[in-house]
Parts: sequence; C-alpha cells; structure tokens
Amino acid sequence: MSAQQSDIGEAARLWAIRIQDPAFADWDGFTAWLERDPAHLAAYEAALEADEWATDLFASEPQAPPLSAPAPAPRQRRNWFAVAGMAAAAVAVAGGWAVLDRDSPAVNILTAPGEHRTINLADGSSMMLNGGTRITIDPDTPRQIALAQGEALFQVKHDADKPFVVTVGKTRLLDAGTVFNVVRDGKAVDVAVAEGAVIYEPGPNQIRLAAGDELFRAHPGATPVLRRANPQAIGGWRTGQLQYNDASLDRVARDLARNIGHPIEASGGAERMRFTGTLMLQGSPDQILARAGPLLGVSFAPKGETWTMTPDDDGRR
Amino acid sequence: MPRAMSREAEIDGLQRVILNERSRLLRFLTARGAGDEAEDVLHDLWQRVASAPTQPIAEPVSYLFRAAENLMHDRRRSAISRQRRQQDWHEISNQVEDNPEGERRLIARERLREAESTLAALGPRAAGIFRRYRLDGIGQAAIARELGVSLSSVEKDLQKAYRALAVLKAKFDAE
Repeated sequence: MSAQQSDIGEAARLWAIRIQDPAFADWDGFTAWLERDPAHLAAYEAALEADEWATDLFASEPQAPPLSAPAPAPRQRRNWFAVAGMAAAAVAVAGGWAVLDRDSPAVNILTAPGEHRTINLADGSSMMLNGGTRITIDPDTPRQIALAQGEALFQVKHDADKPFVVTVGKTRLLDAGTVFNVVRDGKAVDVAVAEGAVIYEPGPNQIRLAAGDELFRAHPGATPVLRRANPQAIGGWRTGQLQYNDASLDRVARDLARNIGHPIEASGGAERMRFTGTLMLQGSPDQILARAGPLLGVSFAPKGETWTMTPDDDGRR
Repeated sequence: MPRAMSREAEIDGLQRVILNERSRLLRFLTARGAGDEAEDVLHDLWQRVASAPTQPIAEPVSYLFRAAENLMHDRRRSAISRQRRQQDWHEISNQVEDNPEGERRLIARERLREAESTLAALGPRAAGIFRRYRLDGIGQAAIARELGVSLSSVEKDLQKAYRALAVLKAKFDAE
C-alpha cells in the first residue's frame, strides 16, 4: 500500500468515526472531502464496512463469561463438535416442533431461505422462525433471545419475575405479555405487536408498543418511526399471508424473498413503489410471484437463482 | 420534480427544510455515491420524512444530512447483502458438509477472541473508549467528560482502535 493510500484510509476512518457521533455537524466539510478525490468515497465505504463488521462482532459477545463452570476438561473439549451437532439436530425437526435441551451450550438456530421452523421453550413460550433467519439462545437463559437476522414471531408466556427479552444487535425488546413479530434486515429493525405489549429499549427513553403498534428503525441511531398495523395480520407469514399498509416494494421484496427462498432484486424504481393489500404465499415461487406481480404492479423474471422485480411498463406510475 | 413535492398541504417542517437545503443535500448525495440518482434518493428522503411522526428535532439540517447518510449506507448494504444472499443460497443448495453450523460458530468465536485481544492490546483506555463509543453509543464529548480527558485524546484512541480493527478485518478477509 502506498503512503498516499494509507493516508486516505486514515482520513476516511476519521470521517467514519466523527460521523458516528450524534453531535457531528460538518456535513459540508465531509462533502468537500468526498468531492476532492473519487478514491475518498471508496475509502470511506471501506472504513464503514470495517466499523460495522467490528461492531457486529463485538455485539455477539456474550453478556457474561460464557462458562461459569471450571475450564472444560479434555473430554468435553473433544466432544464440543458433537454437542453442537446434537443441539442443532434437536431443533432441526423438519417443519415440526422442537424442544431445546437445557444442558446444551448456547445454540445458533438457522433456517434456510423459505424454511419455517417452530421452537418451543421450556416455559411454554414459543417462537416461529421465518426463512433466512438466525437466532441465538443460551439454554441457561432461555428467556433471552438474540435475533441475528431475519424474522421471528414470539409467543410469550408472560412472567413478571422473569422478563422475556429479545435483543436485536444492541437494541432490547422487553415483553409485557405478548405475541410480537420482529424483523432484522441488515441494520433495519421492525417490531410489530399482535397482542399485549412490548417495551422497546427499556430505560429512560423507552417506547411502549401496544397491540397494533409497529416500530420501524432504519438504522441503529436512526429515529424509530411508529405506525399502526393490523394486529390480525402480524405474523401472517406463518399462515401464508403477507399484509401491507403503504409498504415500500423494497420491503415487500425482502419479505417475499424470505418466504420463497430466493433473493429478489428490485430495479427500475420498483423498490420505491408502494403497496397496500394482501399477498398469498401458497404454491411454488413461480406461482406466488405470478400472483403477486399484478397486485404489486411489477413483473418478476427469473435470473439464475435470483428473481428480478421491475415496474410494469404500462405506466402505473 | 416528484409529484408529492407539489402537494403543498403535505409539506411540513422537515420537508420545508429539504426544500431550503435542496442543493446542499443534492451535492452531498452526489458525492456520497448516489451520482446521477441523487434526485431519486432525495425523493426517497422526502417520503421518509413525510411518514415519520412529527416530533421536535433540535437540528433539522443535521438530522436530514444524517438521514441522507443512512439512506446511502442502507442502499449500499442492501446491494451487498443481495450479493451475499445469492451466494448463501448457492452455498445452501450445494451443502455437503456434516456440521457447517458448528464450524461457523467455532470460526466466529475464534474471530471474536482475536478481535478482543487486538482491542485489549491497545490498552484499557483505548479499548474502553471504543466500547463506550461504538457499543454503548455514547458521544465523544460525554466520554471525554466521563474520563476527564480531552476530546482529541478520545478521538486519537478511537483512531487507534479503528485502525487496528481494520487491519484485523483485512487479515480475516484474506483468509
């Protein structure tokens, strides 16, 4: 790497650091720096990517040291893989129900795109995972679930003494007697409450979400936006229905992708169109998209494993 | 000009600020990677502002620039995760390993451990400042007050941490 390149990298990291600060105000200075050299933007993107990577990595740190037990004996160490494998197997009942083994270490549970899976917890709570979802549970603290990506519907047995908490990155959601749905897509978080209530970020700035409230936050640090949702429609993906009220097609495409198991690439401005209505998820991906296209005012076309979504050319917009 | 912008009735405070600061915002968006699509992104910003609940905002101009920055960041992220999902899908359909989940966890733990020791090697103050700033979301000024040090030493420590973690990421990426 040349000295000049590493100077640019250093400057880019400094901008990335400064802009993370809520008090940052020198946007014109940042614009001018970006304009000075086309290499600056790429360096800035790289700095952001590294920052995000590191933040995500540290956010996966367990709250407490993972093992209070003495250092693992050689036998346990040897069996580590087998234990993880068994824990994974215990929840991998195809399309059915599964119960977590309390003695296993913290488990990641993943669903393949298009796969639905139900996890029952010992306290009678359950969670239903949509496709392309990853959660982490430590059986020692089964009422603390980390949603790493994707979408899950939580049906919680409320217990005032044992709070049920879902963490999404650094954000905490505290149940107050509830059925609620959480989506994590990249940096964005969407929480919708079907029954009861959820406390978003318990603390001085907490927000109480009641049945029919939906909170969307585009980015950690972004201002959460509240809107009304139809409580009956929340978690509708379980029963093969997706309901929207003025949702961007960008979001609709991501929801469809999780459910059909193929990425959907929006182009030609389709991602900015909006939709109100219900989509049915029955049938093969071809059938689902063939039905959805006319409702959304777009055309879907297969492109390898991906589908593309483009606005209909009959000028709906 | 997008249709919504002509509907006077819907123009509220923040949207007025967008109109007033239009050229600054466009210039920023263009330089920030939107290029020819800067107008489209501004329109997106306009719509998002319209659907946000009205609440007092202390620094509306800064708020809008930050929202624009976040939009650009999200656009890039969704482009990247599209590519990645495509790749993941490909990997899932070609899966042959016996225990990819256990292996992934092992790698993730190993990487976290390395990142933790990278940070620890910078000394307790720099490591603590990084965690406070990036993981707890505390502003630099507040951290400087907490620790009784100057703003510029907070920034220097953050630079050290970011630099070391960028080097580590480059190393992992090459693996």
